[in-house]
Amino acid sequence: MDWLFFFESSIAGLATGAIYSLVALGFVIIYKATRVINFAIGEIMMISAYLFLTFAGILEWHPLIALPLAMLGGGLLGSVTEKLIIRPMLGESPISVVMVTIGLSSILVGAAQIIWGPGPRILPDFLPRAPIFIGELYVSSKIAYSALIAIGLLVCYLIYFRFSRGGVALRATASDQAAAFSMGISVPKVFNYAWFFGSMAAALAGVLVAASGGLSPYSGSMALSILVVVIFGGLDSLTGALVGGLLVGWLETMTGAFLGGEYKMLTIFTLLTFVLVLKPYGLFGTKEIERL
Amino acid sequence: MRIGDAVSTYPSDEAIFRTQTQKVWMGIFIATLLTFPFVSSPYTLFLACLVGIAVISATGLNILVGLTGQISLGHGGFMGVGAYTAVWLADNMGMGLALSMPLAGLLTAAVGVVVGLPSLRVKGLYLAIATMAASVILHFIFVHWEPVTGGNAGINLQNANIFGINLNSDLRMYFVVVPLAIIAVLGERNLLRTRIGRAFIAVRDRDISAEVLGVDLLRYKLMSFGLSSFYAGCAGALWAYFFKVVTPESFPLDTSIFYLAAIIVGGMGTVLGPILGAIFMTLVPEILKILTAVVVPILPNAQVLLSPVRVVVFGALIVGFLLYEPHGMAEMWRRTRRYSHLWPFKT
Amino acid sequence: MKKIFMGLAVVLLTLGLCVSTATAKEDIVFAETALITGVFGFAGGELHEGIVDYFNYTNENGGIRGHKIKHVFEDCGYKVDCSVATFKKLTAEHNPLFYSGDSTGFMKAINPELQATKNTLMSGVSYASELTDETKYPRSFIIGPSYTDQMSILLTYAAKEMPGAKVAIVHSDSGFGRDPIEAGKAKAKELGLDLVEVITTKPGSVDVSTEVLKLRRKKPDYVLFHGYVLTPINEFMQQMKDLGMATKFMGTYWSSSELMYMKAKEVSDGYLGVMHLNYFNMEKSPGKEWDAMRAYNAKVHPDKLTRPNFYMFGWFQGMVWAEVIGRTVDAGKELTVDNLRATLNSIENWDTGGIASVPVTVRNNSIPFGRVFKVNAAEGRYEPVSEVIEIK
Repeated sequence: MDWLFFFESSIAGLATGAIYSLVALGFVIIYKATRVINFAIGEIMMISAYLFLTFAGILEWHPLIALPLAMLGGGLLGSVTEKLIIRPMLGESPISVVMVTIGLSSILVGAAQIIWGPGPRILPDFLPRAPIFIGELYVSSKIAYSALIAIGLLVCYLIYFRFSRGGVALRATASDQAAAFSMGISVPKVFNYAWFFGSMAAALAGVLVAASGGLSPYSGSMALSILVVVIFGGLDSLTGALVGGLLVGWLETMTGAFLGGEYKMLTIFTLLTFVLVLKPYGLFGTKEIERL
Repeated sequence: MRIGDAVSTYPSDEAIFRTQTQKVWMGIFIATLLTFPFVSSPYTLFLACLVGIAVISATGLNILVGLTGQISLGHGGFMGVGAYTAVWLADNMGMGLALSMPLAGLLTAAVGVVVGLPSLRVKGLYLAIATMAASVILHFIFVHWEPVTGGNAGINLQNANIFGINLNSDLRMYFVVVPLAIIAVLGERNLLRTRIGRAFIAVRDRDISAEVLGVDLLRYKLMSFGLSSFYAGCAGALWAYFFKVVTPESFPLDTSIFYLAAIIVGGMGTVLGPILGAIFMTLVPEILKILTAVVVPILPNAQVLLSPVRVVVFGALIVGFLLYEPHGMAEMWRRTRRYSHLWPFKT
Repeated sequence: MKKIFMGLAVVLLTLGLCVSTATAKEDIVFAETALITGVFGFAGGELHEGIVDYFNYTNENGGIRGHKIKHVFEDCGYKVDCSVATFKKLTAEHNPLFYSGDSTGFMKAINPELQATKNTLMSGVSYASELTDETKYPRSFIIGPSYTDQMSILLTYAAKEMPGAKVAIVHSDSGFGRDPIEAGKAKAKELGLDLVEVITTKPGSVDVSTEVLKLRRKKPDYVLFHGYVLTPINEFMQQMKDLGMATKFMGTYWSSSELMYMKAKEVSDGYLGVMHLNYFNMEKSPGKEWDAMRAYNAKVHPDKLTRPNFYMFGWFQGMVWAEVIGRTVDAGKELTVDNLRATLNSIENWDTGGIASVPVTVRNNSIPFGRVFKVNAAEGRYEPVSEVIEIK
């Protein structure tokens, strides 16, 4: 066993996992507050990455301005989506709402092609390039810095949702909408904020993913891996999103490193099936107690 | 105007066609279906076959999702199993469609039952992803089990026969696909009238209550998975007979989403819904193409310029339909019908 | 007097007939499933424009031996059922002699029908190795070398430049990516190369640094990519260059376009691509047809200063079929599919006037020739670095 390789791969895997966690967090925030499963999250990531490309690559603004703007753009996209097409679906069967988000993703893909063209794009370099060595250990700088940025935002979110009024409102809405409403919490506002913040997390992740994976109107399809993450962790658990992301990222990379890339999906999904049979609500998801 | 049903017995209340008018309309519809291939162009004939296959598959998914309430993203994978099995049986065993398709359906049903096992513990989106896991695993098998599946290149169907008749034209396929689609839909309609169908609906509406009432959850959930997969397997087999080749990329995850979209847009849990949905999902992209072609005289490069717009419009139509009528097109149809029944009175 | 008059009339009549047949030769229909939307959109639009431009150019210059070309098309987002539907529609309405198809899946699905109807020849965007079997695909043709041949050309080049070199293959986990891998492994062995690693990447991977780590340990002299367009090749190159590795990178047709240096900039310097065509941007003109194409472009699309070579592919595709028609007419044969197919198979050392980078010879249902080009990132173009390599 080549332990150096093992550790190097582990770090790379965990770093990828941190980005997964970030998207999963965006997904979970939206689900927790509104019970909507957002299949368009990949496309929100894709559009935000294009926004970043426009600001930083075409208009040549400084990445420190472009990145927050792209995140804001992603957040606004989420908030507008909620207002225009999710709110009218309130109370409908969850699967109809899922379908609406799938329709939305088709709209966004087409729009991206109209605005930015069908070809693949590469984001301008905004992360340091020099490889990092920890002793003998090699870490790709792009993924390392991406992971650091992702963790930064993750920590901000966790602190915010733990201690701020907004966070309390979100948790209150999540646990009992009617009670939250009667306590004076504006539930519609919470819904909108959840979409805004959830999409903003996805937006940052979108830029980070595109930074190393490239960008095209169809790159939103990678969000399928994210579904696995949130199912692993539990749909409505922030901790689950974190742990699930890291776990899936690590496992995927290790499979790639020791078995080969063609086994990645197989391993993840097989393990997922076992986890679900043992823990039907994911590792940290709330177990729904059914009453008659 | 129809003021009411003069139904006096339970069987007549449960009859598939409850009025004379319905029977007449159905007769006209069947007659249209019979004459259609002789007046249609090869293009519309091809689309009709495609719609027929989609109707069978969507009806199958409707049994699972619409009637039993178990969300599945594995439908594409099941169709793949059916397609591979049918081609393998036809080429290696020399079977005709009449034998290979039901066998493919049965094998797929068996696979479906295995995939359905987690449904006893896992629900909702968790289940959807678990079934997606099944389709990922199936895809892996399609790619790597080379002696049977032909690996990456897939397998070609050499021997496309039914009762010794070579299925080498769309016209012949049409007369295989459309009757089967009608049988499939009738089968589902009849299912709704049986204990099994009612049990499915009970499970969908509240599985715990159903269990309390004496519905064996294990049995009915697995039965639903099996039936649904049987439909998918048959549809996959027909697909293989239609295209004469199956590769691992014939049934991507998009296929599962396509059928889910079809039944939701059409209207879940209704008989008509999957039919309307299958027609919608198959034909709307084609209709949009024809519409862009209409603009060509005004805007010569329209077909190129408007191509991405089609993708947007397709998505917008799905969203729009669901916003306007979350219960799908079947509900709209029902409303129109009710309106016409009671006209000139208000509904 | 009456006899003379009659004679004159007959002469006039025959003349008139000749003239009328000469001027009103029937149009030749070329149909196309375009790939403007969908995952293939990155190339589909340009490819389509290449075909359109070539036919307009030909028609403006009198057509092919007097035959004008009528071009009809419809867009399909790289979906097999849509493509088959489009094929049926366009064939029924226009009865095309030639058809430009799309994906490998489509080429396979349409094959039985193509053989049954017998009045259309097809080429497409698929270089799938399976299509090289003419007995199985008698109505289809690969305009260029198959994926296996492309890989073989690159490996041959590597073996020549550095005998016994260490080679690694990186490919995507898709039908397209898996196509030539087994054949490529065998070829590497045959050429005496040391195949140190074969890596499969998942489509849509976020990070490739683990794969880079593997390559770093194996220290290959060449890394051969297949199954990609641009990403993640650029990421591999950048990380490995940053690690100070001297590895050379090479890739097959779809990843040998201008996108490489236009998007990946200086990272792509030295990247080796395999190409049976010339590029739109060349240091010096490779021939007069190439000049004509550039001139036509400058006239019709003054705003397009450069074109990815998907455009060249479209143009070349039109050109091959035009040549086949021309030769068949010259030989005095009727324009039937069988005659056209025979003409196509007889093409030997055809000089395309600089559109193709190789003399065109048809063999194995394809054109199994190619040259290796190298990216010169500073100048923003590909430069030929090998002679014509033929795969037998």
